[in-house]
Amino acid sequence: MHPVEMLFDALLLLSMVVLAWQGVHARNLFRAVVSFMMFGLLTAVAWVRLEAPDIALAEAALGAGLTGALLLATLGRLDQGGRATRLRTTFMRFSLPWMALGLAGTTLLLAVTLALPAPGLDEAVLRAMPAAGVDSPVTAVLLNFRAWDTLLEIAVMLLAVVALWSLGQDVLASTPRLPAPALPALVRLLFPLFLLSTFYLLWRGGHGPGGAFPAGALLAAGLVLALLAGARVPERMTGAPLRCALAAGLLAFLMVAVGVMADRGVFFAYPPQHAPILIAMVEIAAGLSIGVMLTALFLGGEPTDVEGGPS
Amino acid sequence: MTAFYLAGALFLLANVVVALARVLRGPTAADRMLSGALMGTTAVAVLLLLYGATGIEALIDVALIFAILAAMAVVTFVRRTWPEDADEDRPREEP
Repeated sequence: MHPVEMLFDALLLLSMVVLAWQGVHARNLFRAVVSFMMFGLLTAVAWVRLEAPDIALAEAALGAGLTGALLLATLGRLDQGGRATRLRTTFMRFSLPWMALGLAGTTLLLAVTLALPAPGLDEAVLRAMPAAGVDSPVTAVLLNFRAWDTLLEIAVMLLAVVALWSLGQDVLASTPRLPAPALPALVRLLFPLFLLSTFYLLWRGGHGPGGAFPAGALLAAGLVLALLAGARVPERMTGAPLRCALAAGLLAFLMVAVGVMADRGVFFAYPPQHAPILIAMVEIAAGLSIGVMLTALFLGGEPTDVEGGPS
Repeated sequence: MTAFYLAGALFLLANVVVALARVLRGPTAADRMLSGALMGTTAVAVLLLLYGATGIEALIDVALIFAILAAMAVVTFVRRTWPEDADEDRPREEP
């Protein structure tokens, strides 16, 4: 390894440790949130250094966009009186036991990692690639070999939205703190770019890093930006159409999974000659649905405050 | 050429560390947010330089995502957090 690379990695690691510590322990909540967002940024670079561009892409799309927006919006709604000042006094009682536990857990994880079979499942995946229907091994695992896991992940996201909606109405109605006259113009410029990148990532997922989750995160970021600029969910979209959009990913996934049983009677056993089109269908439906679900999470409740503005 | 790209990436990462100091010291929320935005922009450059060094094409996509999402955090900050949370970073007294 090049000495410059080692220096780079050391600096990256050091910054990440400092940011992680600040994210958990900063007295000032805003400082903690910004530290956490920057930690996500450097994590993406770290994944790149570990030669895992797929994870770097997902981390970038979720961490730089929606996670930060969710945390900052939450911070804006918090009661400003009771900022977390109590944490620092309890180092001996609170931090020390948890640090010991964290150290033990990390050691255990390290031991487990070292005990894993060395080459992993790369060989098995590469051998099965000709029948996968896509060129990217990661997409093949996510949407073909282990499609069941991805199906359940989407189901969990939908459950999260349902749980959130059951808690109350949307919180977007709260008035923004400052007028921002340039924002709608910026969003009009940026929104088409967000859409373009969403479809680019969906298309890219077939043969490289990309796919439904980063694409959905980008779409959600675009929609959230529009909401922040003052757009409201149009009246004709609330209710049934929105619910259909939320469930579309899961429904399409399930329909494909059950549909292919007509061929061989096995759940999720795509017939190889139809696998590319089926995977593309699932990916597009899941990507768009994930985008809508993440936006619904940002809304914080079922949209009811309808003013009929531009969407 | 690879060494040149890596050295550039290292220099920019050192800049990130400088921006990090501003994130941690503040004093106002806007200072932290702006140095955060600076770190985001620097990360785009770091990723592109790493692409130059390694040739992994997906890095361009990661950089593209960072670039396009750069506005998100600042817009949310301006619309939802600022200015009520613009507190100075002095330790508060226990109630």
